[in-house]
Amino acid sequence: MLRLTLAQMRRSIGRLTAAGIAIVISTAFVAATLIAGAVITRTSYDAVAASYADADLVVTARGFGPDGLTDADLGALRATSGVGAVDGRLLLSTEVVAGPKRAYPTVTAVASDPRLEVQTRVSGSFPTGPGDVAVPGPLAERLGVGLGDTLTASRSIWTPTVPAADDASTTDPTAADAGTWVESAEQLTVVGLLDDPAGAYAQSGGAVVIEAATAARWAADDTSGEPATYGSAVVALVDGVDVEAARSALEAAAPSGATIRTKDEQAASITAELTGGADVFTPIVLGFAAIALLVAALVIANTFQVLIAQRTRTLALLRCVGAGKRQLRQSVLIEAGLLGAAASALGLAVGVGLAQLTLSVLGSTSPGVPLPATVSMTPAVVLAPLVAGTLVTVLAALAPARAATRVAPLAALRPAGAPAVNQRRNRPRLVAASVLTIGGGALLVLAVISTRSIDTVIALGLGVLGGALSFLGVLVGSVFWVPRVVGAAGRLFAGTGTPATLAAANTVRNPRRTAATSTALLIGVTLVTMMSTGAASARSTLNNALDDQYPVDVMIGRDVAASTPDDAEGSLVTPTLVGTVAAVPGVGEVVALRHLGVRLGARGGDDDQAVYVGAVVLTADDAATVLRVPSMVAGLRDEAVIVAAGTATDLGIVDGDVVTVADTAVGADGLEVVVGSPIELNARVTDLPGGVAITPAALARMAVELPTNLAWVRLTDVSEAGSVVPDIEDALSETAVQISGAGVERAQYQRIIDTLLAVVVGLLAAAVVIALIGVANTLSLSVIERRRESATLRALGLTRRQLRGTLAIEGMLIAGVGAVLGAALGTLYGWAGAATVLGVIGDVRLQVPWRDLALVVLVALAAGLLASVVPGRSAARTSPVAALGVE
Amino acid sequence: MDTTAFRPASTPSGAPPGAPSTRSSELIAPAVAVRARALAKVYGTGEATVRALDGVDVDFAAGAFTAIMGPSGSGKSTLMHLLAGLDTASAGSAFLGGTEITTLDDGALTRLRRDRIGFVFQSFNLLPMFTAAQNITLPLELAGAPLDPAWFDTLVTTLGLRERLTHRPAELSGGQQQRVAIARALIAKPEVVFADEPTGNLDSRSGAEVLNFLRRSVRELGRTVIMVTHDPTAAAYADRAVLLADGRVAGDIADPTPASVLAALDALRVLEGPVAR
Repeated sequence: MLRLTLAQMRRSIGRLTAAGIAIVISTAFVAATLIAGAVITRTSYDAVAASYADADLVVTARGFGPDGLTDADLGALRATSGVGAVDGRLLLSTEVVAGPKRAYPTVTAVASDPRLEVQTRVSGSFPTGPGDVAVPGPLAERLGVGLGDTLTASRSIWTPTVPAADDASTTDPTAADAGTWVESAEQLTVVGLLDDPAGAYAQSGGAVVIEAATAARWAADDTSGEPATYGSAVVALVDGVDVEAARSALEAAAPSGATIRTKDEQAASITAELTGGADVFTPIVLGFAAIALLVAALVIANTFQVLIAQRTRTLALLRCVGAGKRQLRQSVLIEAGLLGAAASALGLAVGVGLAQLTLSVLGSTSPGVPLPATVSMTPAVVLAPLVAGTLVTVLAALAPARAATRVAPLAALRPAGAPAVNQRRNRPRLVAASVLTIGGGALLVLAVISTRSIDTVIALGLGVLGGALSFLGVLVGSVFWVPRVVGAAGRLFAGTGTPATLAAANTVRNPRRTAATSTALLIGVTLVTMMSTGAASARSTLNNALDDQYPVDVMIGRDVAASTPDDAEGSLVTPTLVGTVAAVPGVGEVVALRHLGVRLGARGGDDDQAVYVGAVVLTADDAATVLRVPSMVAGLRDEAVIVAAGTATDLGIVDGDVVTVADTAVGADGLEVVVGSPIELNARVTDLPGGVAITPAALARMAVELPTNLAWVRLTDVSEAGSVVPDIEDALSETAVQISGAGVERAQYQRIIDTLLAVVVGLLAAAVVIALIGVANTLSLSVIERRRESATLRALGLTRRQLRGTLAIEGMLIAGVGAVLGAALGTLYGWAGAATVLGVIGDVRLQVPWRDLALVVLVALAAGLLASVVPGRSAARTSPVAALGVE
Repeated sequence: MDTTAFRPASTPSGAPPGAPSTRSSELIAPAVAVRARALAKVYGTGEATVRALDGVDVDFAAGAFTAIMGPSGSGKSTLMHLLAGLDTASAGSAFLGGTEITTLDDGALTRLRRDRIGFVFQSFNLLPMFTAAQNITLPLELAGAPLDPAWFDTLVTTLGLRERLTHRPAELSGGQQQRVAIARALIAKPEVVFADEPTGNLDSRSGAEVLNFLRRSVRELGRTVIMVTHDPTAAAYADRAVLLADGRVAGDIADPTPASVLAALDALRVLEGPVAR
């Protein structure tokens, strides 16, 4: 029987290969995913392990701050027998400045023992004195410093008592119990350049190393003068000392609650903590791999069904000569198993090869990223794709195997005709499909409706469940409705000529196969469209929400943290700055204006009822040009003040009331006092997000002198914010300004949405490619099945071109219907998802990404056309003589 | 293109459909519908060479029902393939009317088959997804030619398909399917209809019915039919039987009867006997 199975496989090698490619792609996907997951885990483990240098043991304290290891604790550890060196692990962050350039790297202390030094020295030496600093190579390059150059370490130190006369001081008005931020600037000389080969400090591109005493002092500054404690300490043992013996000795010496682990144990424990004990990335991507496998299963089930139909005569003959049903079923399943195993092995090889290629390319193009040179093969990486691929293939062949057992021995005696089309209506299937679709749809609707009244996570769970169930129902029921849609679509084109008429008639001949082929494509297209629609709706909804929240695209103001007090009163937003910003491509309008704190009170009201709010000063014209929502400043006149609705409520005033507005300043006692002359203005309550707005004339009446200190920018196209905002930042990189506003937010979330969308669509593309292989497969099977028909048509006068045209139209019909239905379904699911997830943010704006939809359908049509090329050629090669043969 | 094929009034026989007989005009000027000259077909090379057809010269008269007879392997099917432009000849030439078809390319051959030749196959070869009526009109659709409703009516009546037009092939008996196939072969009024073992898949009663229809289409509708068969009873329905053996013409019987055909075939076997030994 095995010999027979192999012989039959040899005869069908072409068709099996096409089905095998589907398995190869999906198993390669699984393998590559597992390897990528392993690489990520490995890389983060390596980075964590590297941060402990060559420590033999790591002592972890019960906690941080008061629970941390004190210097006394470290001394006790050092005194333990067998211990060579102990260093408390200290990680600080400090701003370093070199000329106009600044960075915010991690800072650590030089190790007391070379074995405990994390980074390696490239040139120079490690710091030995208080003014020394060693800088990682990439950071030195960014700051433009080399050996012997000077850096300024700039720190803000909170001092709760009256400040000692230091460099400078400013008062924080929000502090009730007085204290000051003391700005400290220390000059450091670069004595060494470092390398961080294992990426221990990958997040900041290496760590700046300073002398241990200086580091301890800085750490103490961060804790308001309390002596620094350490969360953990690294231990290097004297050569030849047994690690376990030392561990016991250290356990006795360490404070209670401390844990002592080897470096590897510690790295494993920290890595597990970092990833929350579970790998998040791998399951998500494996989900996409599962979709690819599902689509591959459909393609394979299709292929085997037709193989069985073609072998009806052989199978009947076997039954005639005594083969049992069991034997036939086994033969089909063995065939599927062999195909699955071979294709999975190839897929594994392809996946590993791709992962290795990616590693090699990344390794050579981005040397800063510490990646392993070769992929590490674990049993899971090898077994999971093999088992999954083989299992899916065998499972997909179960139904065709059952069909093989139903071939009656008598079939061998009947004249060969076209395989009978099974038009049987399967009632249980119809019922199951209807129940799933309607029930799932109802759940989905429920999730959308109730998203504001119940917890978002529950609503989302309901929505996902409803979506999955209804989609399953749609797939199970596809055999009932997809052929009808294809038939209807075919009739639309049937008038355009004989090839179209033939194609339309052919697509509905085997509803089950047409449905399965279209459905395979429908899965991928639905998911791609869902993501695209969801992203478009999310983008639009967030844009809308941001318009309300931030009427200004970009705000440029003084960077309080990075500027010196001298700047405070000077005009920062100079005409030069306005010109610079206006020259950035994509910037529409730039308006320089003034911003100040004011006291707002109802006329004749108590002092207690007054509120202190921010006020912007701008003309009505400027407001109209720069604001996204002009209604916010409707009614801005010299005699009026625009008051935010929230502020008006706090103050107990309504539109039209007269209010007093006064400039305020922070007094010596840290409290705000009124300066200048208060004026009375008519309040206009609008949907301004907060504060008030007045005109320059009103400000002049208050006798306040104030330079322009704020610039508002309107972008020509707000959807370009993702590229324009960084350009503005670059243009102003040498000025200490803070750039904020909706544009910045937009730029951030657009980047996130676009990246996520690109990744997801890329992952789903594998499923679409497999489905297109299925279309080509179905078409070539049709060609083989209809050899005699094609020959008859050729004998009757159908030209080769018309025959190829018939196949092309058939391919485009199947693919086009799958794509159009998928796009429609995906849009609905995308809307439902967006409505559920974004319902809490505000009014959801449902969008149809027409461009993406058109692209998906076009790609499907082109692929359907492409898929028909090879089958069309083989059909056209059919000699008309074949119509005469008896077979 | 020979447009005469679409106008019954100007077909070689010149008789309107339903005329009792056209044989008298044929006797005066028997026009030749199909002609073969030194036609040869060789398969394979070297020692494996098979001369399926070895220099055949034969004429087929228009408005006649001719049978090509011969035992298996005699080359009768090959001769038909070459005459119908389904296969390419190794040597010699074949003519349809005044057209030498052995020199035509695939496109011209396709048009020739579409416009000037009709086929009836042993296994009917109807398109399963089309109804009987759709199958019958398919050649016109392929040619983009208009349907002559009167001619369609005549064919349907003559072949007794009136009640079956909306049925699909799966709902028709073998005899009915073959009658649909005959109607399909005649719908475009081709210069010649080739029938390849048209009764091979039918029981004897349905076979006799089909052969009667073929004969009526020649005698009453003025068509030309060339039929390949190995059955002497089927050949007896024809006006003439051409006998082939070993790729050559081995006999020519006018107004064959089952007895005369059998006798001629027996004579061939006697001739073959010593050669085989």
